Amino acid sequence: MPNVISRTCFALTIIGLSLALPSCGYNTIPTLQEQAKARWSDVQNQYQRRADLIPNLVSTVQGYAAQEKNVLTAVVEARAKATQVKIDASDLTDPDKLKQFQDAQNQLSGALGRLLAVSENYPDLKSNQNFLALQSQLEGTENRIAVARRDYIDAVRAFNTALRTFPTVIWAKTAFSGEKPMAEFTATTGAETPPQVKF
Amino acid sequence: MSAGPPPFSFAGGAARVVFAFIALLCANQAVLAVNFPGLTGRIVDQANIIPAETRSAIEPKLADLEAKSGIQLVVASVSSLGGEEIEPYANELFRTWKLGENTKNNGVLLLVAPNERKVRIEVGYGLEGTLTDALSTVIITNAIAPRFKAGDFGGGVSRGVDDIITVLTTDASEWQQRPSLRLDDHQTTDPLTWLLIAGLIALVTLLIVSPGFRWFFLNVVLNVLLNSGRGGFSSGRLPGGGGFSGGGGSSGGGGASGRW
Repeated sequence: MPNVISRTCFALTIIGLSLALPSCGYNTIPTLQEQAKARWSDVQNQYQRRADLIPNLVSTVQGYAAQEKNVLTAVVEARAKATQVKIDASDLTDPDKLKQFQDAQNQLSGALGRLLAVSENYPDLKSNQNFLALQSQLEGTENRIAVARRDYIDAVRAFNTALRTFPTVIWAKTAFSGEKPMAEFTATTGAETPPQVKF
Repeated sequence: MSAGPPPFSFAGGAARVVFAFIALLCANQAVLAVNFPGLTGRIVDQANIIPAETRSAIEPKLADLEAKSGIQLVVASVSSLGGEEIEPYANELFRTWKLGENTKNNGVLLLVAPNERKVRIEVGYGLEGTLTDALSTVIITNAIAPRFKAGDFGGGVSRGVDDIITVLTTDASEWQQRPSLRLDDHQTTDPLTWLLIAGLIALVTLLIVSPGFRWFFLNVVLNVLLNSGRGGFSSGRLPGGGGFSGGGGSSGGGGASGRW
């Protein structure tokens, strides 16, 4: 019966439209953006966690290797510099700001690596329980940083892709035309493997 | 009377776009996932290093742990890390298997890679405050690595599992800070949801289209409502004879690695 068919078509169109509208991406872009921001705050939390471990580490090392003043000072200064560079969610679209942040953290990583290398020369320090615990915490934190960065990069890619691919690109050009793609981390050599700590 | 332009062409075009998008999403699986062993049980011994007596000794302990606390502790060995470091490999494997409950992220993975001579304890977000990095290091250094070095994989795994369970089940809440559970915020729509949506679409369509169905539907609904007194639903877990699967949890890279 033609009446049934046309009414079915009509019903399906209504239902299809009501389903397609939300799934066609109006919600997608803000959702992905919020997820990327959340992943960024995870990254910052892990970096902050590393920064929080450092005073304890420095004072422990100082107890055994006070003469290594240069290395210790370098770590303290690098930490101060790294905690000063702040990025909030609105800065995430600026690749320069992100690079600034990344550079400061990489400097801290370098200083930490030198400190740990120097600690190898002090067997008393290496067997100190506090130092051992700090070392494993540091290693764990570096790993968490790596995981948080990967998650952030995935979230940013999803968001940037949504800004450009069909069908969400329609919403990107109209309702969300103010949103710019978010910046990713630039890969640095050796940044992927955490500093190896040998017992 | 017609209801306007036939929507079939629109439906066809939109469907094609949706299918293309879904295909694109499916293509974005992590490359690593291809090489992971399946989660066949609480002990996944791909590298075949765990002797049978150890297996039968450990398995009930792991099941018991989950029954009492919901913590999913899984022991796995892989024949090769495929050139990866054990840290990202373990994290990806943990997330693929989704160990631990969805809301609590209380999974632990003990991963042994005998080919690369590396071992790792990967701890879910929710347990990072209990099974800390320092404790994981202690367990690996003292219980696992020395035995592995001597070639005693069964003993190393067994002792490691015992130590992990001890740490997880000892109540130290007075002096340990509870971590903030990172609850994953993306919704996963499983096939059941799609089935329900499809069913709903069919139902609404039929209701609009056919007056006969409307009458039938109302009758059925009234009957169900009147008779819902007896025979309620039985909720709870389906009795899975040996079935074991991850609970939807995730890990953020906590734990520790070691080598021997």
